Amino acid sequence: MKYVRIALARIIGFFTGHREDPDLRDELQAHLEMETAEFIRRGMPPDEARRQALLASGGLTQAVEAVRDQRGLPWMESVVSDIRYALRALRHSPAFTAVVVITLALGIGANTAIFSVVRAVVLKPLPHREGDRLVYLKHSIDGPGGENVLFSVPEVQDFRDGAGSLGGIAEYSPFTFTLRGENDAVRVRAGLVTGNFFEVMGLSPILGRVTQPTDDGIGVPPVMVLTHDYWLKRFNGDSAMVGRQVRLEGKSVTVIGVMEPAPYFPDRVDVFLNMVISEHHTSAMMVQGRTHRMTEMIARLVPGATLEQARAEVGAVHARITNEFKDAYDPGSHYRVTVIPFRQALGSRAQLTLWLLMGAAAFVMIIAAANVANLTLMRGVRREPELVARAALGAGTARLRRLLLAENLLLTLMGGLVGVMIAIGGVGLLVSLVDRYSARANEIRLDGVALGFTLMISVTLALLLSFLASLPKEGAFAALISGGGHRVSGGLKRQRLQRGLVVAQVAVSVVLLAGAGLLTRTMIQLSRVNTGLRTEEVLTMEVPLLELAAAFVPGADATAKERYNRMLREVRALPGVLDVGLGSPSPLRRSSVQFDVKAEGKTLAVGEAMPRAELRTANPEYFSAAGIPLLRGRPFASTDQAGAGMVVIINQTLADRYFPGEDAVGRRIAWTGDVLRFTPISGDWRTVVGVVGNTQDGGLDTEPRPVVFMPFTQMLAMGGGLVIRADSHVARLTPAVTRVVRRIAPTALIENVMTVAQIKDQSVSPRRLNAVLVSAFGILALIIAAVGIAGVLAFSVSARTNEIGIRMSLGADGGMVQRMILREGGVLLAFGLVLGVAGALFAARVIRGLLFGVTPHDPLTLLGVAVMMSAIGLCACWIPALRAAQIDPAITMRSQ
Amino acid sequence: MAGKLDVKQGTLALMILKTIEVLGPLHGYGIARRIEETAKNRLTLNYGTLYPALLKLEQEGFIKAEWRQSENNRRAKYYALTAAGRKQVAREAREWHQTADLIAAFLAPRRESE
Repeated sequence: MKYVRIALARIIGFFTGHREDPDLRDELQAHLEMETAEFIRRGMPPDEARRQALLASGGLTQAVEAVRDQRGLPWMESVVSDIRYALRALRHSPAFTAVVVITLALGIGANTAIFSVVRAVVLKPLPHREGDRLVYLKHSIDGPGGENVLFSVPEVQDFRDGAGSLGGIAEYSPFTFTLRGENDAVRVRAGLVTGNFFEVMGLSPILGRVTQPTDDGIGVPPVMVLTHDYWLKRFNGDSAMVGRQVRLEGKSVTVIGVMEPAPYFPDRVDVFLNMVISEHHTSAMMVQGRTHRMTEMIARLVPGATLEQARAEVGAVHARITNEFKDAYDPGSHYRVTVIPFRQALGSRAQLTLWLLMGAAAFVMIIAAANVANLTLMRGVRREPELVARAALGAGTARLRRLLLAENLLLTLMGGLVGVMIAIGGVGLLVSLVDRYSARANEIRLDGVALGFTLMISVTLALLLSFLASLPKEGAFAALISGGGHRVSGGLKRQRLQRGLVVAQVAVSVVLLAGAGLLTRTMIQLSRVNTGLRTEEVLTMEVPLLELAAAFVPGADATAKERYNRMLREVRALPGVLDVGLGSPSPLRRSSVQFDVKAEGKTLAVGEAMPRAELRTANPEYFSAAGIPLLRGRPFASTDQAGAGMVVIINQTLADRYFPGEDAVGRRIAWTGDVLRFTPISGDWRTVVGVVGNTQDGGLDTEPRPVVFMPFTQMLAMGGGLVIRADSHVARLTPAVTRVVRRIAPTALIENVMTVAQIKDQSVSPRRLNAVLVSAFGILALIIAAVGIAGVLAFSVSARTNEIGIRMSLGADGGMVQRMILREGGVLLAFGLVLGVAGALFAARVIRGLLFGVTPHDPLTLLGVAVMMSAIGLCACWIPALRAAQIDPAITMRSQ
Repeated sequence: MAGKLDVKQGTLALMILKTIEVLGPLHGYGIARRIEETAKNRLTLNYGTLYPALLKLEQEGFIKAEWRQSENNRRAKYYALTAAGRKQVAREAREWHQTADLIAAFLAPRRESE
């Protein structure tokens, strides 16, 4: 209590104490007078009495000081005075302050933004209980699309039985449903999971319950667990949702709980359901079909088991089953299973991009810090006389350091503050980028840790800057006086430091620019890739009319096809529409349906993988509407009806694969493989009537896959993509087309409404953002480095004014002086370039995975960067060189 | 060390409080005079020591200050004890006696060792 009271009194005193000073002086004066009077009373002469009284007082000013210290907060006062002094000093050099603050703000802003992303996506612990024990199993085969072919239920069972180190294996199967609301329908992305899914994943509900083993099998009621995001978005976080029924695929499903926020894995989904919702997932073909691979596997290591152990066991099980069921594992495809730590599987796509950006941002920070260090060093030289004078007047080394520290802290904190503002904008931009790569983008925010990171950078930088500056030494004042206010301490060491910083700046700029160049070329190469379509004025729109659950209801397929035909007729009649086709999926969108394909009369070499092809459907106008070139044969015709001869059109890739150098038209191919048993697709021979050009369905940077088109009339009416071509501005047709579709199918889902240009752009935009961000960092670095070179040379010129004056008076002309200064800058530039190119070669190897159509050591890029850096660097040298050349020796010599 | 002693930390506060308790409200000069007399001039008490100590006691709430006319018609700042101050004198005096006894016991020649 007592201390609080004193503290309070002192804090009040700190703010109001100065008002008490006159009162204190009066009091001391009264004391002095009383004492003087006493001495006089004792018989001293008045003058002597006054002198004695003053002597006894110990000094009035000292007393006032002592009382002041007691009254306020002395250490606070000195801090305040330091800050006040620093503010005044910075106000006197506004250009310096502005340059430093802006430089730091850019560096700190970029770093804070990217740090908060890296933290959320890579560093932050997973919400999963003991997430480090989770592993993801991947089943791969050779060939395009074989990266991950998933598992079948019998395979999962084999691993459950044979791999003891995997304590629990959860199954997950992605599925899309239509959720019917009051008067609309929405697409719901669902994960069908086994009851143990949440137990294995180590995730808990925040409301209700999650699935459990009793939800497995048939004959149980369908239940749904909402993801946290979907609960908030679709149901406004209504806790009364738990226990409610929703309509899904014509069935009533009970919402049993809401899951805690967690990254989406393996896919982004809205809800989780037990398997019973899909008749297919509980059917014999799914449960018993070894080649019916639709299931993802996530497992939890038992305590004490290592990843190596799990890998060995999984490898052994895999070897055994491939040996036992030879039909299910085509040897040419090289089936293999890899066990990947969960964390790695979760972030693998985002990590490289993020580390690239973090690296680039760190480089910008290095350059910015180097520049600020250089500026501070130069400023330190200019104010050396002032510091020396302060030291001579009694400021100790510690006190001077504190002054510098206050000033530098003020600078870096201002930089940090502006940087945080930049970061707030930057994080928004980055979230949209990371969203494409990582399931954890929803966790990104600029929180206390990120701000702490900013503060740490600022304070560290301030400390570094303060201790970089040298303080006046003993006797410096004498030197200052005798030196007439010039050049107190030897500048050699400092100059070396400054030059080292410039070389580092140039080198780092080169690395960043090279990265920017490579990524920009990647982007350009990618946007030059031919989509395979002749025009971009094509609008695509998917209107699935046939729900999975109703697909086999008699007449449903015919009804859907009839409605599609009406849509086609009415859309074709719209003004501006040139052509309209129907097929599934839309052009440039990958089909998830793939089967093995065989060709009549063609045998595969031993060990050769059976080609897999995407199954797509198309009506006769699909190709002309989409602008897919017909290379041979004919398009589908209206005579290719359900009952007629079965025909297909194949793409160039498949034609080249099976009929190289031959005419594929007229040959016969067939779907093949055990898995066909589980589909409504027959393995009958089908005649190839045409060959079409390849299209970039899997994105612009992928190899085209083999494709088999079947007539829309000879398949179930799944998917239903409208393809509409117009002269120009095809996107403007969207409302009119939507109205037509709505009139014919009022509650149908309308999705993926995009023009071909937009689909293409979607493929390029992540790379573009990469390129733009790194280029921005590169240009920033270039500017900062140029300023750095110019600054250091200008400083060098001003320090050598005398020398240059002497040279000129001895006969050197302006050109010689200019060349001398240029040479000085050129040497720094050359060192920086050499180091930078070496660094760039290394850095490019690291980001190899992000490049497309350009080699990491692309000579053109490196050359371009070197030329650019040299040009800008030499320009930066030119200004101080020109100034040096204009030095008038007479004036210089006289001023000495 | 026959010269004058500096006031020991902590002891000055008690001297001031006791002086005011004995003599009633008093100005700084009076307090200084009284302390020096009581110490038989073995102590020097300059302003830089006295006035911060008075301020501290005021901040602690043991004394309060007031400007008044002095006996010989001079304006001076008088310090008076508060209720808390009165309690504090008693407590500190007691503690000081105990400490002094303790120290005395330690410093007394030990009979056993002789």
